[in-house]
Amino acid sequence: MMKTAAAAASVPSRGEPSSDQENGDNSLQPFFILHKAASDKSDRKPSRRRIPSSPASPNKPGKSGDDDSSGDHSHEHLRMEAFQHAWSDIETTIKGVLQSIDSGTFEAIYSWIIESFSIIRTHVSSGLSEIAQAFPAAVDSVSRRLFTGLVLTKNMELFDDLRTFEQLGQFLRSHGCHVANLSSMEFVAKNGIGGCITSLLRQFLATSVDAPDMITLSSWYNDQVNNDTPIILIIDDLERCCGSVLSDFILLLSEWVMKIPVILIIGVATTPDRLRSIIQCEALQCLCPFKFNLGTVAERMDAVVEAILLKQTPGFFISHKVAVFMRNHFVNHGGTLSSFIRALKIACVQHFSMENFSFMLRGLIEEEIQGSKHGLLLKAIYNCASNISPCERNKMDEEAVQKLVAEIAQLKRLHFLWSIVVLCLYEAGKCDELRLLDLLCEALDPEFYASRVPGSFTQETRYTKASSPNDCFTHQHKFTMRKDGFISQAMRKVRDLSESHLLSLLKRWERHTADISEIHEKVKELQHMLKFENYQQVKKDSMEIAKIRGLQSKSNLGRDMKRVNDKASSFLAYLIEKYMQPIECVPSHEIVCFKNVKKLQMALVGDSRRRIQVDLLESHKILSCSCCRNDNILLSSMHDTSIMYSSCQEHGDLINLHDWYQSFKRIFLCPNSKRRHKLKQSPVSKKRKFVDDSEKLSEVVIQSRFCRGVTELQITGLLRMQSKRRPDFVQRVAFGL
Amino acid sequence: MAADDVDEEEEFGFSRNYFLAKESSGSGKKSTSKVSDIDVVDEQELVAAMSEIKPKHEKEIAALRDGYRGSYSQWVFELRCGFGMLFYGFGSKKALLEDFASMALTDYSVVVVNGYLPSINTKQVVLGLAQVLWDLLKTKRKTPAASVSKMKEPSGSQSLDELILFLNGPWVEEKDFFICVVIHNIDGPGLRDSDTQQCLARIAACSHTRIIASIDHVNAPLLWDKKMVDTQFNWYWHHTPTFEPYKYEGMFFPLILAHGNTTQSAETATIVLQSLTPNAQSVFRVLAEHQMAHPNEEGMPISSLYSTCRERFLVSSQVTLNSHLTEFKDHELVKMRKNSEGEDCLHIPLPTEALEKLLKDIA
Repeated sequence: MMKTAAAAASVPSRGEPSSDQENGDNSLQPFFILHKAASDKSDRKPSRRRIPSSPASPNKPGKSGDDDSSGDHSHEHLRMEAFQHAWSDIETTIKGVLQSIDSGTFEAIYSWIIESFSIIRTHVSSGLSEIAQAFPAAVDSVSRRLFTGLVLTKNMELFDDLRTFEQLGQFLRSHGCHVANLSSMEFVAKNGIGGCITSLLRQFLATSVDAPDMITLSSWYNDQVNNDTPIILIIDDLERCCGSVLSDFILLLSEWVMKIPVILIIGVATTPDRLRSIIQCEALQCLCPFKFNLGTVAERMDAVVEAILLKQTPGFFISHKVAVFMRNHFVNHGGTLSSFIRALKIACVQHFSMENFSFMLRGLIEEEIQGSKHGLLLKAIYNCASNISPCERNKMDEEAVQKLVAEIAQLKRLHFLWSIVVLCLYEAGKCDELRLLDLLCEALDPEFYASRVPGSFTQETRYTKASSPNDCFTHQHKFTMRKDGFISQAMRKVRDLSESHLLSLLKRWERHTADISEIHEKVKELQHMLKFENYQQVKKDSMEIAKIRGLQSKSNLGRDMKRVNDKASSFLAYLIEKYMQPIECVPSHEIVCFKNVKKLQMALVGDSRRRIQVDLLESHKILSCSCCRNDNILLSSMHDTSIMYSSCQEHGDLINLHDWYQSFKRIFLCPNSKRRHKLKQSPVSKKRKFVDDSEKLSEVVIQSRFCRGVTELQITGLLRMQSKRRPDFVQRVAFGL
Repeated sequence: MAADDVDEEEEFGFSRNYFLAKESSGSGKKSTSKVSDIDVVDEQELVAAMSEIKPKHEKEIAALRDGYRGSYSQWVFELRCGFGMLFYGFGSKKALLEDFASMALTDYSVVVVNGYLPSINTKQVVLGLAQVLWDLLKTKRKTPAASVSKMKEPSGSQSLDELILFLNGPWVEEKDFFICVVIHNIDGPGLRDSDTQQCLARIAACSHTRIIASIDHVNAPLLWDKKMVDTQFNWYWHHTPTFEPYKYEGMFFPLILAHGNTTQSAETATIVLQSLTPNAQSVFRVLAEHQMAHPNEEGMPISSLYSTCRERFLVSSQVTLNSHLTEFKDHELVKMRKNSEGEDCLHIPLPTEALEKLLKDIA
């Protein structure tokens, strides 16, 4: 087989469209090299690549009749740079957030490792004679104990936590431990215990070993300079491991534990009890387990959303509809962080590759551009602007660009204010286990904003002027909130908070609002109010304690507290009205805000089952041909497979081959619908006419077309072939779109 | 809430359609027409006619393909951002993918895997990829010296894991350094099993590879779990119906009208033959070789089959041969036909390519 591949490899057809002849040669090879990258080409910047685009390319985004193709290429280069910059920022942020969530658990695991290792060392020093032997058969059950950390991930889709286990490995390595990460894929019955040991040795020795055994590992460990540190084996997914292989592995390790101080860390998605059903009893007795907890998916999700969509500079943002789609995708598709991040990345790619101005925002947002590059960006702005609206080409002057820059600065400021209000709401809703993404979706809703500010999207609202900061604590909000909405839930919660909770909430608000003195002062004022009321109350209590009963005092305290709670709630309403302007309601938001939810959905979840059927049922729409326009009648000009699939819709789950063939034949032989109707009325009499040679010829053609149609439907999986029991019927597989 | 309602409606719609279809075939008048009522033309003629089918909508199909060319630069952008490309929609995407690779991916090495073939050796594919990467690294000037010293030339003696580790590198820091693997029909019969898909997912997750694949089966996404989709393949879906004929993809499917509904495929024939005795296999081989040598004849006359088999000590009597032939006929491995001289001839109802492969498989 390799010979064929090598032979195929020696005939590269570099850089040229492969002809049919070439395809014919290679189409029956299992694989072949289409072309190789030239050594000089691979060093070259790919952005200079010229891709000949066809004249008929209506769906090319942002395409204009611009002759300056070098401009296109530099744009492509800038777009790629902008994406890479934005995405690497997002990735670094995500990594940092997840690390900070896990850091506590990592520290706890490390101190447990140190403790366990010292216990192992104690056993070793008391049993030196056994260790001197080549094969240390550990004598008693105590010295055979294998310290095992069970890391409870509380997440059935463990692949979200793979990154966590990798980072745990890195963390422990940085603390001097010898670490190997073993995947559950290595604990399969097919490979047996040998597969795990091979993987271990490959990771520690960095070479492949022909005959993997523990002696090799033991001698490697003794040769290490730092052999006073333990060996940590991290197994990511207990539930997916083959029980017998894992049990054998544990037994083997426990026999060697005195010579090779191994400590196990196992990821558990369900509960520690699961260990009993997976690992055999004998192996289970060797384990000395400890439990550790990782943060839940919801906590991680909130932290990631907060860091990326609220706290990061808005180089890239999402619209309300996109946010709602992403939330639903997260909830309906297994609720994994990885799928959310993937959706975000696709949105980011689409934004930077398609939105006209998106690639230049890196410089504008960061305000770090040098003079020369600034010129380039301005030029880019001119070019792009002229692409969007050619009529504006002449109007695009320095003034317009300056206006744009000012608008972006305004956008940045308004987004910052918006994010502060959302954070304050989130802090309030946290006590009610409010999820940030839910809140975000509501806060991004332009309709909610429009209901507050009818007819105004551009200015900081009329209400702002009406309600001055001084009456923000008595502010009566004029917007209607959805009763079951998350914003109203958060506001209700503020009213119901106890004194201590309200105090801590105000502290968190203080932290979030530190950069906006106007709001910050008000939060401080609220804090003072709360403290003052407390103080007053305590004073009053001590003075009147003899006169008034405790019950009455408590009710007074409650009433006063209520007053501060109400003020805090009013303040929140004031913030919402004044500052919570969704990004879609800010001018020029398109530059940073990705809105095309349909495109995102198409790229993220291809609906192959539905779409392939629609392709067949509505082929004339996709091909946009003029001859097959009639929606209700099947015409002979239509694609054969399309005719066949449409006609088989009239059958039940079983399709009689003979009938199906006859109906196909009838449609095929009628050049227009009129004749077909006639045929339909008397198919038998017409059928008799097909007797001469020319008709015999067409019979061959029709049969061959029919056969090809069936094969194509079989390839798409829409048809199941006839069985021996039912030789005259094929079976439909899909029912409805 | 509204989205939920739509989902529910779709779900009910789907099940309603299913039961309606069941009902219409159960309670309604079930057609009793027989396939044998169709005046089926000779298989050879049918096969010949199939290769000469005049395509419909040539102009529109060409326009569709031209339209996709306009998206090539966008696709390259997505590929460079780290996604795997998955193309779906009705029609063969073989030409589209190869055209895309030839025109837009000239800066990268491209390896094509023909997933529509009945069997593909995954390890050989991985080895082939590793060798391409090795060649590329050797010729690349910027490969760090430290990396070169660690590299070991990939060879067939290395395990699949080692080869995949080699593909994963990272040998070069540059993000834009990868080889493109075009997989036609990643849902094809030769790649459909779980182990192969796991292997392909691991290849896709390597830092020095990017996958560009096509699917045709409506249920192809069921081949992958969430881990594969979200973290390994990292698919970026593209709906690209081409309406081009499945010329190569359909090669290994039996013709539904050939020989009165015989649906003998090369694959099932292999399974049947492998269960027969070596002598029976050899008799079949004689028949197949004759058929390949004389493609225009009706088949091999029984008398000449007997004499050839006797010469090769495969059968000792006509009775033994007949018992083999009965076995073949029972499993629909051979058909009887009469030639121009009225002689009974034996014919294997499989195309020459399938026959070649079949002989290789039972060798």
